[in-house]
Amino acid sequence: MGLNGISGILNAPGEIPWEVVLLFFGAGLLFVFLWGKKTGGLAKFTTLDLIYIGMGAAFAVVWEFYIGAFLGKFIPPNPFFGIGYTGRLIALLIVAGLVRKVGVGMVAMFIFNLLSDLISYGFSGEPMYFLYEMLTYGLMMDIVIAIAGKNLFGIRSPSRKPSTGKGKIEANKNSGSPGLFSNIPAVYLAAIEGITIGVFWAVPEPLFYSGFIAPFLYGGVVDWGAILFGIVAFIPTAIIVGAIGGLITLRIVKAVGQ
Amino acid sequence: MNLLIINLISWLIFFFGAAFPVLIMLKAIGLTGFMKVTRFESYHTFYYRMNPAVKIILGIVVMAVAALTIWWIGALMTVVILLTYLTLKDGKRKFATGFFLTMMTTIGTTWAFAPYTPYAILNEAFHGSALTSLWVWPSYFTVMGYQPDLTVQGLIYGFQISMRFTAVSLMSLVLVMTSTPSQVLRSLNKVGVPISITFSLVIAMRTVPRIFEYIDTSVKIQFMRGLGSRAPRFLRPFYVLVGAINGIVPVIVFLVRGAKDTAISADTRAFRAYQKRTYMRPATIGRVDRMAFSIIVLVILITVIAVLMGFGRGIPYNG
Repeated sequence: MGLNGISGILNAPGEIPWEVVLLFFGAGLLFVFLWGKKTGGLAKFTTLDLIYIGMGAAFAVVWEFYIGAFLGKFIPPNPFFGIGYTGRLIALLIVAGLVRKVGVGMVAMFIFNLLSDLISYGFSGEPMYFLYEMLTYGLMMDIVIAIAGKNLFGIRSPSRKPSTGKGKIEANKNSGSPGLFSNIPAVYLAAIEGITIGVFWAVPEPLFYSGFIAPFLYGGVVDWGAILFGIVAFIPTAIIVGAIGGLITLRIVKAVGQ
Repeated sequence: MNLLIINLISWLIFFFGAAFPVLIMLKAIGLTGFMKVTRFESYHTFYYRMNPAVKIILGIVVMAVAALTIWWIGALMTVVILLTYLTLKDGKRKFATGFFLTMMTTIGTTWAFAPYTPYAILNEAFHGSALTSLWVWPSYFTVMGYQPDLTVQGLIYGFQISMRFTAVSLMSLVLVMTSTPSQVLRSLNKVGVPISITFSLVIAMRTVPRIFEYIDTSVKIQFMRGLGSRAPRFLRPFYVLVGAINGIVPVIVFLVRGAKDTAISADTRAFRAYQKRTYMRPATIGRVDRMAFSIIVLVILITVIAVLMGFGRGIPYNG
């Protein structure tokens, strides 16, 4: 029994070498830090963005702990479908669609984690979960947002800029250049980007969690056959849920009126 | 014929494990119950006078103690914390909700572990004593990850693991029920969490009970429009679930539309105009907090003694 529920086991059979994980987390943190410095960090989120992020995290929590938790009991644990994954992905896609700024994935994951700790887990196993969820799920979502640029989910109106001078200049500079995906109809684009994020999200749970976090926190043997099968088996669900999530996002963002 | 009965009973047991907690949720707690235990209501007893930071520390200590000690210490803490729910505003209702929540977690967790835990782990947990089989599943149940038999030891193991979660969940809800969002904001800022993050967190905290409230409204409206009106009465709880799922997207749209008003009202009060904020009522450490601290020290001491006496964590734990 180690500190704060972390056993700190680094040599479980088949565990991903800790150097690799450390390198990944280190590079991830460095990237986040440098990107934040370059783009203004948290200051680039407007008050409205922060409220959207908070609400998205609240939905993810309500799903994870109350509604989804009980629906999930009807489905035995299996590698093909996860009810928690479904709700969390859709909630986070909606937040990404409403905010449309790089960094939203990580900030939303951070808030989601903090809130789940406050209302249920009591900071057990932290700070491993903060690092894991922000730098896998959050970072992957942010990479897709960065690539999609102004065409995220086919929502073509510019995102809100904070009311500082620097932001306004950047907004003018950006508005001229046409995006890479601007010819694709919005509905397809929303589905494609939903699927991309969905498939990305199918990887960390089997790979990182079963391959490192779980043996690191609790010990045990890592079964690589099960991990690879887990990733492949989950992809159909990821595609379907991702597409649906993308479309729901497009619909909600339009209904909210941007 | 015999095979049919075995299959029938096995599936009945399977659905009992899944449906019974949902039934408790819908019948005994209800959406309003969830709203009550996730929302702040003004009152004056000791929890309400305590510094939110102390409540967070209390939660962490309870979590650590439950993880480090034998299961019945966790159970004891659960009972004590649940009893303190009686001191909250509308205490009896909250006590009942807390009780049902605990029951739901216990049954849910027991059921999540009992049929799945490999015999090797059970053997380790019960020091190699023979496993008593209660029910033999049909062989195809193993596809779902079930072990061939449901054992008494599996059920006991699941129950003991559930005692690790119940106390900390109850303690964490105390923070949400007895501190205003602005109190939480103040104490988190004192620790150095950036204001943008705490603001988002507080919005999330306030949104959770509102989601239940609006889903409840949405379900009622759907019933008024005739959802499930021709279905037999015993199926009604499941129509609540159907209504709740149908209501999710409209509820999101409704809540998110309100976000703009919240943003305007925060901005007109000069949110983030300055690096630091000042507060009309600073968070202080009072008599209640000192008492809480002495309780924390006492609990830690008891834990150390318990672990030294051999009442440490008795069972291996996965997941």
